[in-house]
Amino acid sequence: MFEQLVDKLPVGIGIVDESFNVVYLNEFFLDRLPQELRNDFKQKPINILFHGQEKFLKRRLKSVFVLQHPSFSYWEQRPHIFPFKSSRPITGEETQMYQNMEILPIKDKKSGDRFACIFLQDVTAQASYFRTQQKLSEALKKEHAAQVKLIRKLDQAQSQLIQAEKMASTGQLAAGIAHEINNPIGFVAANLDTLSQYATHLIAICNGVHERLEDLNEDIKDQLEALYSTHHYELLKEDIAELIEESSDGLARVKDIVQNLKSFSLQTAEGIQTIEVCTLCNQLISLISAQYGKPQYKFDCALEKIEIMGDPGPLKQALMNVMINAAQAINDKGFIKLTVIEKGDTVVFKILDSGCGIPQNNLKRIFEPFFTTKPEGQGQGLGLSVAYTAIEKHQGKISISSKEGKGTVVEITIPKFITSTQSVEEDLADAE
Amino acid sequence: MSIELPLDEEQRDALQELLNISMGQAANSLAQLIETKIDISIPKISAVTPTELYSLLFETQNALYTRQSFLGDIHGEVMSVLSRRGLVEVATLMDYDEPLSKEDTQEIILELCNILAGACLAGLSEQLELTTNLNMPTLFQPDKTNFDELQWQHSLVMEVQFVITVSSFSMRVVFCLDDESLKRMKNTLDELLG
Repeated sequence: MFEQLVDKLPVGIGIVDESFNVVYLNEFFLDRLPQELRNDFKQKPINILFHGQEKFLKRRLKSVFVLQHPSFSYWEQRPHIFPFKSSRPITGEETQMYQNMEILPIKDKKSGDRFACIFLQDVTAQASYFRTQQKLSEALKKEHAAQVKLIRKLDQAQSQLIQAEKMASTGQLAAGIAHEINNPIGFVAANLDTLSQYATHLIAICNGVHERLEDLNEDIKDQLEALYSTHHYELLKEDIAELIEESSDGLARVKDIVQNLKSFSLQTAEGIQTIEVCTLCNQLISLISAQYGKPQYKFDCALEKIEIMGDPGPLKQALMNVMINAAQAINDKGFIKLTVIEKGDTVVFKILDSGCGIPQNNLKRIFEPFFTTKPEGQGQGLGLSVAYTAIEKHQGKISISSKEGKGTVVEITIPKFITSTQSVEEDLADAE
Repeated sequence: MSIELPLDEEQRDALQELLNISMGQAANSLAQLIETKIDISIPKISAVTPTELYSLLFETQNALYTRQSFLGDIHGEVMSVLSRRGLVEVATLMDYDEPLSKEDTQEIILELCNILAGACLAGLSEQLELTTNLNMPTLFQPDKTNFDELQWQHSLVMEVQFVITVSSFSMRVVFCLDDESLKRMKNTLDELLG
């Protein structure tokens, strides 16, 4: 009865003697033996009956006989010890059987002979399941990594958007202030103009009186001369025109700056439109020179007018950020040269400064958001990354080369016409 | 170790002696199989908390770990800590071909643990006249947080180190017993001393 039971067990059971010759095999093993060997397996070495991992099998059997202690083997490390086919030859995804093996030392109680008993378990189903799970988990891991990357990208985009928003609101504020300042400037200018005329008249009157002094009697003449001298008429006469002229010059400059500020302030919903590059550059220079007075500014363009299609807000912001960086790089004396070149279907902006330059190892990080070498509180490290995004949206390119202590050249190339407005919107959608 | 040993001095000495013998037998078995000289340390007996067990296992840096449970008259677990250094030489002694694949390495450490833990346990059981059966070993990656969450308060630990001199390979085998098995072993020790 026991023999029947052992034969029907769903595990392979085989017994070998100390020279590794087979003494017993249950049906699990027999079913998988070639037909001609089924009745002729006894006293044959196990490694001859089952080709495959004979070296391993012998080693493990030896260990069991020497140590008199069980030995184990798992499918994960050694999946196919015996060359058996999968238990599902038709529908199974695995072609070979995955096996767990255990070898136990046993002893014949009567004769004292030593044997090794091999238990073989078919774990193809588990192995197959496990491997599927593993593949799934790997796929999940990959997806997770991709998502982490995406989230990082989104974070960057968000911080850039926040910055752009800030810049835009600052711009709006500036535009508001500019508008407010425009009104008083208007009447101050008009008054100054009238004042200048009045002054001319007054001086003409005074001059007239002065010329007629001789005709008056001595007493009045003396009084009038004393009056002219106590009020320093000679000085006043010369200075007044100069003062008024200087003031109107100053006022004109204020007007200019306010005008530039107004036209340069960022309006969020401008969209794609025609931009005149030369005017834009001049405005930019006068705006920046008002804030950073130390460098000398030069503008160079062979043409009087270059028109491109683009979104003025981001483009201005990009140029502004680069220009501000250039201006901040100059500590004491130096120059900034902005060159605009028309090159086929593109426009190249070259911003050259004689400032402190960028160290080589920082150069590859300058477009990273929040990368800054400025002391805390003086820069957020977003300028160039915002510029980069804006230029990318315009299908342009930005490149920087720099030499420490010598200066920096930034080259921005922008196509005159964006190939399709849709792609810009797509980029924007991507960033969101 | 801050915890008092749950054995009295006589019991401790007896166990120490039994361990010396069984560990020696284990070393001999392995030496015989791979035909090389093996040194063993004097077995250490102590009581540990889970956190202490964790640091005990992590004394060896950059190590590989396995665990194996045993059932029978006494229950417990054997944990093995193997150095990566010298493993290739041991593999050669065990008749593996270079270069070793990841699976080869895993198989080798599982087999080494099985041999040593098995031999130690067999020796100890034989001398204490207890029957024990060792289950299959598995790879193990001790995790600090898991150790902090373990339910038991303290456990008896027997630790021994095997060193294969020619390859500078070393391996520590740590036996842990549960409370009930400890009682049982104490009784058996008393009978032997009796």
